[in-house]
Amino acid sequence: MIESLKQQYNIEQKESRLFKLIIKKEEFLKTLSFISSSSNFITLSQIACADWIEDEIFKLNYILTTKERDKNLMIELEIPREESKLPTLLNFFPQAEVMERDLHEMYGIEFIGNPTLYDFALENWKEIPPMRREFDTLAYVNEHFDFRKGREDNRDVKVEIKRRRAEAKRLKNANK
Amino acid sequence: MQEGFIDYQKVLNNEEHAIKSTQSVIQKAVDWFRSKSMFVLAYGTGCGAIEMPPTFTSRYDIERLGVVGVATPRQADILIVSGYCSYKTLKRVIRSYEQMNEPKFIIALGSCTINGGMYWDSYNTIKRLEDYIPVDMFVNGCMPRPEALIEGFVKLQDNIKNAKKEAGYIKYRENNEFYKANQKKIFGDNIEPSYEANFEGMNR
Amino acid sequence: MQTNNELIKIFHGPQHPGITGNMSVELDLLGETIKGARTHVGYLHRGFEKLIERRTIIQAFTIVCRICVPEPDPNEENFARAVENLADIEISQRAKYIRVMVLEMARLGALFLWMGGQSGSIGLGTIGQWSVHDRDLILDLFEELTGGRVYHMYIYPGGVRRELPNGFLDRLSQLLDYLESRLPLYDNVFFDNSSFKKRAIGIGVVDANEALKNGYVGQVLRGCGIKRDVRKDNPYLVYDQLDFEIPTFEGGDVYARAMVRRGEIRESIKILRQVIKQMPEDGLIMQKIPKHRKFKLKKDDTFVATESARGEFAYYMAGDGTEKIRRMQVKGPSLIHGFTLLEKLLIDEELSNVAMIMNSLGICPPEMER
Repeated sequence: MIESLKQQYNIEQKESRLFKLIIKKEEFLKTLSFISSSSNFITLSQIACADWIEDEIFKLNYILTTKERDKNLMIELEIPREESKLPTLLNFFPQAEVMERDLHEMYGIEFIGNPTLYDFALENWKEIPPMRREFDTLAYVNEHFDFRKGREDNRDVKVEIKRRRAEAKRLKNANK
Repeated sequence: MQEGFIDYQKVLNNEEHAIKSTQSVIQKAVDWFRSKSMFVLAYGTGCGAIEMPPTFTSRYDIERLGVVGVATPRQADILIVSGYCSYKTLKRVIRSYEQMNEPKFIIALGSCTINGGMYWDSYNTIKRLEDYIPVDMFVNGCMPRPEALIEGFVKLQDNIKNAKKEAGYIKYRENNEFYKANQKKIFGDNIEPSYEANFEGMNR
Repeated sequence: MQTNNELIKIFHGPQHPGITGNMSVELDLLGETIKGARTHVGYLHRGFEKLIERRTIIQAFTIVCRICVPEPDPNEENFARAVENLADIEISQRAKYIRVMVLEMARLGALFLWMGGQSGSIGLGTIGQWSVHDRDLILDLFEELTGGRVYHMYIYPGGVRRELPNGFLDRLSQLLDYLESRLPLYDNVFFDNSSFKKRAIGIGVVDANEALKNGYVGQVLRGCGIKRDVRKDNPYLVYDQLDFEIPTFEGGDVYARAMVRRGEIRESIKILRQVIKQMPEDGLIMQKIPKHRKFKLKKDDTFVATESARGEFAYYMAGDGTEKIRRMQVKGPSLIHGFTLLEKLLIDEELSNVAMIMNSLGICPPEMER
């Protein structure tokens, strides 16, 4: 089955049962509807998104699985980080609803046509979407929370390690 | 007993903490009775929920100490906050706590309730539970073992029986502004959990 | 008696004894019948994927197992395998066998815990007392092997972290004998129990025709009579060298899924016995891996999947040439079950069946929202 797809698309084999296809954003709906309807890859297993902030893009991987659940095909496409928009896959796969909802909240990607892009895991979130790389979680925590002070006799680990090393070196030299 | 574990029977019969309070005999008797029947509301806020079934079933059998699980906040004396609290959960924890009848106590499980634990740099979990509600007993560990939980219960029984520490609910009553201000700091004005999710554009 | 047709809204959870973890289901009720259901999650969101972006591999490894509480080992295995893919590490045969052993022990533990939850959801409290106790005996072995009862942190990229203790396999074998002797008792009191059958048969029926396309996994598929299991279809570690069956059951209801799990307990014991017999005597348990700050992943991405006790656990991982992971995305088995499937199954059910259906689908919120 994968052979006939290979004739049509430029599919790269990553592992024995994992394949990859890189497409343009414009051919996204056409390719996905063709592959899911006319080949063995009938189900959507995951929509994975990675933020490549240095290239100003999001890389999305739509991972399709065969009916036998023995091969996976990653369909990769790039979308710009600003004004990231994509058509929804709700018409092909009902499970895309929750995945798109998750990505919408975590990255701010808008899936056109998905009616359920409301709160998923966060409540009253007012910052930028948390999974974008420019969001600094440590700065957010320091701003919003206080930490408990450590014990009074606690020591800085790095200083302590340095001191112990120097001590060991001194002992070694003394033994010589 | 093996090294590292404190024998809880020994803790139970510990004589060195003799009753020093100036309470009346009746009050002492009431406290003693109270320490022997603990009705627990186990809110599984986090990972700690997984050590709850072993603690409450036949192997560790905490029921022999008079600790019984109940279903609703209104019957419970003790709230177990089992692990990290996200923003969303903390609102529900506060609501559950405020629904409980006095006297009421809180046991907090896990390092994450003490100082954030594993999730010290997470944007969605609170770091110190006692800023928001009064905690009577912390049980540390990630995860605390059932033995540690039992030890926490025994210590709390001891505290209640001998009136050693000011109970949390009294603190909450008397310093209510402090707790409410802390809650307001992270939640803004909607401290009550909003049961109206954002259904905009949703027609199902 | 129903006097008007107004729907009553009830939140089933998050603080509820019949809920499978810290989540809630919003129900629209007409009398006792559910007319609408919406799942709400987010009570357990910790932002794992964000935290992992800030951590090196050994730092990320300590929090990865905390993604799913009842069975952390499939997460460790997924993480280790994805890192091995991206760093080109090949592990030894002995390490593979030890990993299979750990995974199957975790599966047994999770299935015993499920038995307690499922029976508790219909009011059979005794079975929980038994099965949680039996699970604890497995946890004792885990403690001996790894030092931890719940979170093991044992499967590390490159192999496993510790050698087996002396006589460990014998003790495991004895435990399997004990567990096997308990199984007929569980049959009597739970699986053949007529009160369970009366409650469970015909409740929560999953449509088998759309099960494959909609991406259901694990017992939900196998309870519809569809034979799918990552261990057989897309074998990892040494599962292709072991002899085991995939139990299936027709019907697609709560009872069918329970019977599938009953079969899986037996198959897991069978696998563990083979592992004990075939375990290679020698072999590196840990490959030579780079030091902490020099453990770098190449700029590439990969996708791995492991069969957990509730279905397929899948990880997408992308490296960017540094010692930190660029992106790790988790797809737990119950992500689809908890939303698309549960909201559909609950329509026109009784309120009292909600806990039973949720337990039977194996819904576990920490992996849905990470």
